[in-house]
Amino acid sequence: MTTSAPPVRATHRLATTGVVAGSLLLMLLLALPIVTVVLRSGVTGLQQLGADAELRASLWLTAQTATLATLLTVLLGTPLAYLLARERLPAASVVSALLDLPLLIPHPVAGMALLLAFGRASPGGAALAAFGLAVVGSRTGIVLAMLFVAAPLYVSAAREAIARVDERYESVARTLGDSPARAAWRVTRPLAGRGLLAAAVVMWARAVSEFGAIVILTYNPKVASVLSYDRFTGEGLDAALPVAAVLVILALVPLLALRTLRARALPGELTR
Amino acid sequence: MRCLRIITVLALLAARAPSANAAPPATRAGGDTVVVFTAASLAVPIRAALDTFARRTGAVVRQENGASLELARRITELHRVPDVVALADEEVFPKLLVPRAASWYARFARNRMVLAYTDRSAGAANVSAANWYRVLQRPDVRVGRSDPTLAPVGYRTLAVYKLAEQYYRVPGLAARLEARTTPALIRPNASELVALLQAGELDYIVDYESLARANHLRYIRLPAEIDLGDPARAAHYARASVRVPRRTDTLTYAGAPIVYGIGVPREAPHAAAGARFLAFLLGPEGRALLGAHAVDVLRQPEFIGDSVPSALRRARR
Repeated sequence: MTTSAPPVRATHRLATTGVVAGSLLLMLLLALPIVTVVLRSGVTGLQQLGADAELRASLWLTAQTATLATLLTVLLGTPLAYLLARERLPAASVVSALLDLPLLIPHPVAGMALLLAFGRASPGGAALAAFGLAVVGSRTGIVLAMLFVAAPLYVSAAREAIARVDERYESVARTLGDSPARAAWRVTRPLAGRGLLAAAVVMWARAVSEFGAIVILTYNPKVASVLSYDRFTGEGLDAALPVAAVLVILALVPLLALRTLRARALPGELTR
Repeated sequence: MRCLRIITVLALLAARAPSANAAPPATRAGGDTVVVFTAASLAVPIRAALDTFARRTGAVVRQENGASLELARRITELHRVPDVVALADEEVFPKLLVPRAASWYARFARNRMVLAYTDRSAGAANVSAANWYRVLQRPDVRVGRSDPTLAPVGYRTLAVYKLAEQYYRVPGLAARLEARTTPALIRPNASELVALLQAGELDYIVDYESLARANHLRYIRLPAEIDLGDPARAAHYARASVRVPRRTDTLTYAGAPIVYGIGVPREAPHAAAGARFLAFLLGPEGRALLGAHAVDVLRQPEFIGDSVPSALRRARR
């Protein structure tokens, strides 16, 4: 059957149609709700930015905390991603699995777990209190919740980015006298740079959108996700949607930045 | 070919999935489905009644919990209509639901405000009904309360503070007590406060007696002139007027005895089943179950509005 030409072509056409239809369906499912929100309330939301100090404060708070969480993760997570990518860690698969765990936990549960581990009554909380930090009702809590739910995304994407850089370049640097750390810093970091930045942007976007874990730890001050839910429950749909629409519109900025970086990164990238 | 077969299998799976999911609720013995929206402070007691009702009748029961004003919004704004809605303040019915979303409701239970705490709360050794308002003002004490724009327990707490100022004759007391809870320690509803108290984040919360008892918290009964628990003092409570500023307007609540309201919305998808559950809940067995969870059920529920289902009128006694 597969040797005769027409049925194969018909099958191919059918498969192509199926692929296109499937892709369109998925795009529709993903885009329709967002487009609806932006069309319905985007203009109101942008106008509201001028008059609504609470909305401005909330967006600013969201940007600040998400950026801080991302910076902390880049600082702590990039070396870990390097060790995982180069398989220099004993039991790397166990570490990887542990890193995936926060992605599995429902976000309100993540919030409760953080409350138990770092709340005022816990040893972790006592340690934080020594530095004047409290996780409940504070920016610390927001950053901690964002870090918990989003850092695994950064580490796994950073690990992929580093693994794409051929280890031989580092070896060459080593033969020229660089220490392992210096070789990784001078050779691999710039080559994986765009991938690392893309990973950071994904993490930032995920942190901005987090709700479930944050609302357990810090209801006030309100990040944008909490504010939109709060407006919805307190004032209704028409008050909540502008907040969401503004968040979507502002979130386009990092996403476009990410796409531009990716588009430029691929052709000239030095890979094995 | 294989590709085509995979697509066909996926399509068949996709087509079957929804019916496979929907089948058990619709076809189980009895066939009743009851969806109940419950105020957070009623979640556990009504869960108990729903479980017994489900065992007894084979009905499929589903429960969604939240702050009372939030639940009312789900109905009026999202048009997600349950079969029964139970709210912590009967006043939410006339304010938000009657007449458009519901034609009637029943006043069915009472409660009172208490000061709840735990063994490890700061000042737990000395706090009493005589000095509680002084303990709450200690700088090392962390006091929580609910969001007055979302939950009745939030504005009731502010009414308790106003009444305490009059009762103890301490000018400015209400404002000072209100300021003891910074925004960081405000939570959306009565149950979340209990969780924070149990986690040791808060030392004291002003909350419902039923929640304090059900969660085995230590608590102080406040004087009847303050605790919003005595229906005979309605006129006295009304002297405490609470203003809740919101972004666009200010809501005003007059103090009132705490009465819970329950009803079947107009567009309830399984209205008959909802009424049957309500008849069970307000009957002797349901009242006993609620009572076991520290809910103070009225001996005689009071129906307000039109077209109360006849099954309920019969079950009143």
